[in-house]
Amino acid sequence: MTPSLSDYKIGTLQGIETLPMNSGDWMVDRRLAALERFEALGFPNRHSEAWRYTSVEGLLKQGFIAPAKTSQSDQGDGIQNHLSQLATVGRLVFVDGQFIEEHSEYPSGGVRVSSLKAAMATGDRQVLQAVGSLSGLGEDGFAALNLAGFHDGAVIQVAQDVRLDGPLEILHLSSSRAEGRKLPTRHLILMERGSQAELIERFVSEDQQSCYFNHQVVEISLAEQASLSHKRIQMESRQAYHLSDLHIALQSKAAYHGVMAAIGGCWSRTFISNRFQQPDAHCELDGLYLVDDGQLADFHLDVDHQVASCSSRENFKGLLRGSGRAVFDGLIQVGKGAQKSEAHLHNANLMLSRQAEVDTKPQLMILADDVVCSHGTSVGQLDDQAIFYLRSRGLDEQRARALLCQGFLADIVDKFEHQALIELLNRRMNFVGSTEQETSHESLG
Amino acid sequence: MLAIKNLTASVDGKEILRGLDLQVKAGEVHAIMGPNGSGKSTLAHILAGRDGYSVTGGEVRYLGEDLLQLEVEERAQQGVFLAMQYPVELPGVNNMSFLRESINAIRRARGEAEIDTLSFMKQVKEKARQVKLDEKLLKRSVNAGFSGGEKKRNEILQMAMLEPKLAILDETDSGLDIDALRTVADGVNRLRTTERGMIVVTHYQRLLDYIQPDKVHVLANGRIVRSGGKDLALELEARGYGWLLEEVAA
Repeated sequence: MTPSLSDYKIGTLQGIETLPMNSGDWMVDRRLAALERFEALGFPNRHSEAWRYTSVEGLLKQGFIAPAKTSQSDQGDGIQNHLSQLATVGRLVFVDGQFIEEHSEYPSGGVRVSSLKAAMATGDRQVLQAVGSLSGLGEDGFAALNLAGFHDGAVIQVAQDVRLDGPLEILHLSSSRAEGRKLPTRHLILMERGSQAELIERFVSEDQQSCYFNHQVVEISLAEQASLSHKRIQMESRQAYHLSDLHIALQSKAAYHGVMAAIGGCWSRTFISNRFQQPDAHCELDGLYLVDDGQLADFHLDVDHQVASCSSRENFKGLLRGSGRAVFDGLIQVGKGAQKSEAHLHNANLMLSRQAEVDTKPQLMILADDVVCSHGTSVGQLDDQAIFYLRSRGLDEQRARALLCQGFLADIVDKFEHQALIELLNRRMNFVGSTEQETSHESLG
Repeated sequence: MLAIKNLTASVDGKEILRGLDLQVKAGEVHAIMGPNGSGKSTLAHILAGRDGYSVTGGEVRYLGEDLLQLEVEERAQQGVFLAMQYPVELPGVNNMSFLRESINAIRRARGEAEIDTLSFMKQVKEKARQVKLDEKLLKRSVNAGFSGGEKKRNEILQMAMLEPKLAILDETDSGLDIDALRTVADGVNRLRTTERGMIVVTHYQRLLDYIQPDKVHVLANGRIVRSGGKDLALELEARGYGWLLEEVAA
């Protein structure tokens, strides 16, 4: 039976005293306020435009409960298998939504990295004030529920003019113990003036059967001239649910580059809100999604130009196989005062079967007159002539199809830059291009 | 090497080839000429195994085997190569990686070891130079944004790298200026050996000034209506196809 709203409220309330909070009641008050907001909003349904193509019924039916309290020694026997060979300067590991210190590595000099729980426990005022300041309580109930019930997350704060010479990594690993659980986390990324960093986030699972709900809110603040390259690869268990809300705020001359891949999960949704707070900032979003039988991938972009002279570019591509479904909803708003804005949005889809389905909706809402904006969308199939061409050069049909799929996504895959990540994605594409059943999940190492 | 007997084929129920006979021996270069719509490209496509054609009769033996029973890639693996009239653009597929993968697919199918990186690089550079293909194009996506001439040079480069036993060139001269034509022809001539058979499909005699064929065939209404030496091509150049078609009809 699908739990009711009050079940969710009670479920969240019951654990609230065990959640991280500072010494005062301040955080408790905010959690309670968020819970009230959740109660008022409820969960979204298809009458809401933002959720028109994505049903939450399947997710709610699961009746996910809060994660079990486990000691660190219980967890992450398999962590080693999932640690990447990337030359990172720092790493945070979360297993089933809980921070695992012993597998994490703290970077040195100019960057503060900690678990959100630890930062809140010390009563860090800057962190406490920042939590929820960009995301707000949201419009669809999920964001409020996350604020009311989040357990942990990461805090990354890069000091003024510090430029990291390697990537930071956040690994989210789900174990079989996550079965039936929701894993609400929150990250806070604070890039101070003139700082520069690269962040790689990966979501992986120890198996492909566990059904859990990874629910994440990320708040990213970029001060003047700060720049962040943010790469995210979602490879959850094939039975998992994944919801990410990213809220990015940019001040003058700041730059954010997000590169996203949605590959795993039976249901995943990524919402990216980009706010230009001052002129001359730049945002780039690249993304790819691969869906197969029983999978849904949803990307929602909200790029808001309300100040002048900012530029944004979004390019998302999807590969749909079997009965896979995808939703792409890209909104660019250019306000009256946002003259000299530049915004380009593109979405392309390659359908590998007749049963696959995509709903794509690029939207430009422009109120300023001196702007350069464009948008485009395409839905196509593999080209028979191209398959013939490759086969006539000795490649078998499966390899020909896989190579064309790789080619289709190559410009996005290349944005992941690191060879280990590119190979990981290409291996997955090789599989998608083929007609074999999936035999095992990919790990990076 | 190749023996085509009484081949008939149709596209969408329309008969294109109506009893075609052709024999190509190792070491020979055959030119197939003919007016537009005579079935020249259909023949080239059927030999390479392209979909969309129904073979309704006759047979094609290649090195003693029934060629039409082989999959497209099996034909390539056994040494059949088609240089296409309209090479396909493959965005995102790197030209050099593709070439290497192609060579290795063919080698694997023959039970041979994969080519080592060093000799591959050496060969590809040398052969690209021979067909005057800018090295930069090796690093780009296959044919993507290439000019017409660059695409044809790339086809000849592939042919040189894959070293086929039977090479079929489908209107490789179309759309080429005289310099490109000469380069492409040089590339083809360099591949002439006593073991290799070649079929050069062309509408114009011009290409045959540079590639001297052993035999010239005229294809009209789905049949070879006349075969001869190089002189036949010159006569066609001088007099067009009309007289021949009338003679055949008479």
